[in-house]
This record gives sequence, C-alpha cells and structure tokens, in this order.
Amino acid sequence: MGLLEIGGLLLFLMLLMLSGGVWIAMTLAIVGWVGQAFFTNTLPGKNLFSSFWETSASWELAALPMFIWMGEILYRTKLSEQMFDGLSPWLSKVPGRLMHTTILGCGIFGSVSGSSAATCATIAKVALPELEKRGYDRNIALGSLAAAGGLGILIPPSITMVVYAVAADASVIRLFLAGFLPGFLLMGLFSGYIIWWSLRHPDKVPPPEAPTTFMEKMRRSGSLIPCSLLIVFIVWVLVAGIATATECAAYGVVGSLAIAAAGRSLTWENFWQGLVGATRVSCMIMFILAGAAFLTKTMAFTGIPRELAEFVHSMNLSPFGLIGVLVVVYLILGTALDGISMIVLTSAVVLPMIQKAGFDLVWFGIFIIMLVEIAEITPPVGFNLFVLQNMTGIDSNRIARVTLPFFACMIAGIGLITVFPSIVTIVPDLLMGVAK
Amino acid sequence: MSTSSTASASFGRRFLDGLYLLGGNLAALCVLAILVLMIAASMGRVFEWRVSWINDIVAWLCAAAAFMGMAYSFRNGDFVRVTLVLESVSPPVRRWLELVSLAVAAVAIGYLGYWAARFTWESYEFNDIAGNMVAIPIWIPQMSFVIGSAILVIAVLDECVCVFRGGKPSYVARVEERHARGDFSEEM
Repeated sequence: MGLLEIGGLLLFLMLLMLSGGVWIAMTLAIVGWVGQAFFTNTLPGKNLFSSFWETSASWELAALPMFIWMGEILYRTKLSEQMFDGLSPWLSKVPGRLMHTTILGCGIFGSVSGSSAATCATIAKVALPELEKRGYDRNIALGSLAAAGGLGILIPPSITMVVYAVAADASVIRLFLAGFLPGFLLMGLFSGYIIWWSLRHPDKVPPPEAPTTFMEKMRRSGSLIPCSLLIVFIVWVLVAGIATATECAAYGVVGSLAIAAAGRSLTWENFWQGLVGATRVSCMIMFILAGAAFLTKTMAFTGIPRELAEFVHSMNLSPFGLIGVLVVVYLILGTALDGISMIVLTSAVVLPMIQKAGFDLVWFGIFIIMLVEIAEITPPVGFNLFVLQNMTGIDSNRIARVTLPFFACMIAGIGLITVFPSIVTIVPDLLMGVAK
Repeated sequence: MSTSSTASASFGRRFLDGLYLLGGNLAALCVLAILVLMIAASMGRVFEWRVSWINDIVAWLCAAAAFMGMAYSFRNGDFVRVTLVLESVSPPVRRWLELVSLAVAAVAIGYLGYWAARFTWESYEFNDIAGNMVAIPIWIPQMSFVIGSAILVIAVLDECVCVFRGGKPSYVARVEERHARGDFSEEM
C-alpha cells in the first residue's frame, strides 16, 4: 500500500469515529495508534506515553490555563455593562451610531479575553437589549455581534494562538503581536460596512441621543479605565519583553482579579467557580493537544505529510492557488468542527506543505485563526451562532444569514493579508527583529 | 443517573461523584499554584532570588492539572465531539452510538492508563531522576498521569453503565443545564 492510500485509510477512520461521536482528543490518539501499530516498526505504547507526558508537562503550556482563567474572571464581572455605557456617548456623530458598540466592544473585550464565544456572549448580553430598546436594526446588530465575537481569538491574548503555537512550534509572542493589525483591519471592515449600510438606509437608524458634554462623556467612560489599563499593561509587557507570554498571562489573571474586586463582583464563590471552569476547559484542550502530538509523531514516522507535501508541490500550484485550496478546505471543515480541533487535526499534514511552499509559520497562524473565526459563524456548527440563538431564541440558520455581509468582510480580510502579508508580519518584525 | 435515584443517591454514586470532584479540585489547586509560582518567578528575576527551579515545578503542575481534572471535565461535557449525527438520529440509535463511543473510549483510556502505569513503574524501578533543576525521582510527578487516567477510566465505565441502563449521560445533561442558564464561558 502506498503512503497516500494509508493516509486515506487513516483519514477515513478518523472521519468515521468523529461523525459517530467519539471525543476528538481520543479519536486523534486512536488514529495515531492505528497508524503506528500497523504501518511502522515502532512501539506505540512508549510513544503514547512520551507524547502525553511531554506535551502536558510543559512550562509553555502553563499559559493556557492562565489565559482561560483571565477570561473566566472577566466574564463574571460587570465589564459588559460598563463597556456599553462608556462607548455609546462617543458614537453619536458616526453614521450607524450605537451599532458600532458591538464592534468596538468585541474588539476591546477581545484584547483581554482569549475566547470567541465568551467575547460574543459578554458583549451581546448588554448590547442586544440596549440596541433593540433604542430601535436599531436587529439583523445588523446580530450579524455584527456574531462576526465581531471572533475578534476575541484574533486580538491577543488568544487561547487559539497558544494552541497553534504549541502545535506548530512557533513563537507565541510573535503570533500575539502579529494579531493586532489584522484585528484592527477586520474591525475597520466591519465598521465600514455598518457605515455604508446606514448611509443607504438612513430611515432605519434611530436619531442620536441628547448631546452630552465632553466632561460627561469622560465621566461615563471612566469605568473603562481599569480595563484599558489591563490591555495597555499586557501589550507593554509583551512588547518590552519583561515577562514571557506565560508570565504575562499570570499577571493578566492578577489584573483581572483586581478589576473584579474593584467592581465588587469578586466573591469567594465567583473566584472558585472561575478557577474550576478554567481548569476544566484547559484539561480538555491539553488532552486534545496530547492526542494531536501523538498523531503528529505517527505522521512523522510514516512520512505521509512529506509525501503529501511533495504531491501538492508537484501539482505546481501557485502559492495563491494553494492558499485558495486551503481556504475552501478550512471553510468546509469549519462547518462541522470547532476551531481548536480544526487546527490540531490539520497541523501535522498542512504545516509541512505550507513550509515547503515558502510561507511564514506566523503568517499562516494568523491566516488559520481568521478561518477559525469564520468557522464560528458558519452553520450547522458555529459556536457564536449557538450563543446568539440561545440568547435571543432566533434560529441559528437565520442568524447565519444576517451574518453574511460580515462573512464577506472576513473573506476580504483574508484576501488582504494574503496579498499584503506585511499586514501580519510588520509588527513582530519591527518589535522583535526579522525572524531567521 | 436517573432523576428518581438522585434523591436517595447510593453510597457508590456519592463516592464516585466525590472522586471526580476531588480530582477536579486538585487540578484547580494546581492551576492556582501555577499562578502563584509564575508571579514569584518574575518577581524573583527582579530581586535576584534563585528561581530557576520554578520552571520545572510549573511544568509538572501543568501536567497534574491536565491529568487530574480529566474525569471531572469529561463528566461535565467539556470534552468536544462532533454531535451533528448524534443529534439528527432517533433516540434509540443515539443510545447505541453513545454506547459504542463510550466502549471505544473505555478501551482507549484503559490502554493509555496501562502504559502510563507501566512507564511510571519503570521510572520507579530504575530510579530515574528528573534531569533539570529539581532532582527528585521523576515517578513522583508522573503519578498524576497514572491516577488521572485511572479516574478517567472509572468515569467512562460509569457513563457506560448509566447509558446501558437507559439513562442520559451526564456529559449531555450538564451541557444542556449550562446552556439553559445562558452560560457560555466554557465554549471556545
């Protein structure tokens, strides 16, 4: 049997188990075991042990529970109320007015949270009822919330980026820094669409609220100061290289605890619940990573990815052609898989291909994370859609439909970073020097 | 875990739930310890304490957090899976699919636990010492792997028995409860 046939067989086995409902982490490990036991001369048991132990007993990976915990703490604070109150007075002159609170709110919350669904839920909790009360268009509000929630994983810190960095053996800090500009780019595209839409439908935008004085605006935004300080602090620590990504995560937790304590939402019960919740989620992710590490080892032993990379190379696809094919593949995967599984499932096979074609691993990380964001809003399985369905009772397929314009914005964003890769690489290159 | 039996939960039921909770709480304490040690390490660099041992401890705590909490996390429905097919088939078919998945999981985790125990035993017999800054026998931190996978095997078998008797698996029930409350803090 040729290597590509073995690869096909393993892929079939994986899809069979996944669709039958076997947990993703276990599926990865089982497929890895089958590959090693039947198609290599190594001892799968020994490799299984070392993959699991070496992946989990890792100092770099300790950043993961920290970043998740940080999000859990802030999720339990009144940050979302403060966000709406603080942002709204500044937006009365912009076409579309308060509709931009969803985009800006998600952008700001995304820079202290590393999760897409949590960002979407936190901002939607307050923005949806407030916008509806004032008579703003519900479709635009829903669409922008579903799409902008994804900024949680693109604007650092980002749990998904930590996972990608572990899977691809790339630098977490470079990835974090690379996420800023594409994040702003997407915010610009989303807001641009809202402005364009409002100019075309002026009748659907409610009148501005009573004008407020500058001092009044400042007073209402005052509650955002602690959160902004936390953002500035995290960025500063990263850029100045004072702490490692892991230590910066630990300081983020301390900062979030301080914000929660200042807002009087830090009870002993909240603290423990946040901690246990963060632990459970990190257990799940670390198990997936360990399973994926074992599968990656299998792939390395069999040589399937190299063969596949050669095969793709021999097709003489242009780099843009390859990226185009990958966009389609990830869009399809994203309809049924969650982002983290999508990354670890494909990294063993796709990364060698990408490197062979001459792409930068950090650039590819941002590219794949933007595709993960899209996966969150594509039915039937898109987590931001589920979140909004649960909060509003509107069917997730209808929410997906109103998200379409923002989906187009994201595709445009991916096109832009592909044509101008420096949007991604310029910040890490400037601050940390050009890699290699 | 049918609802009628929860009122008078048997000793076995309470023991098992307590076991998973204990694992989860130990894992949470490991995460808390990581936070404290991380802050200490960065402070230490400023004040020039000797902190190089911290990195090893943090790595082991990270492993312990991952392994000890597995069963608790599994029972809570935090382990991700594709539910597209499961949710579109009839309840009896779904029950069979759940049983097959659980059986596959039981064998896989049993195998993992066996090798974890075997290699940790080897580390103990050959008295392997951790290579880096902290020179303790490596089997001590590795025990978290053995214990964690043992608890997970028990949890998977527990669910197997529950679904076999016609009950709803707790990893489904807990997620439904959580989403009904509007709590999405645990979805990525």
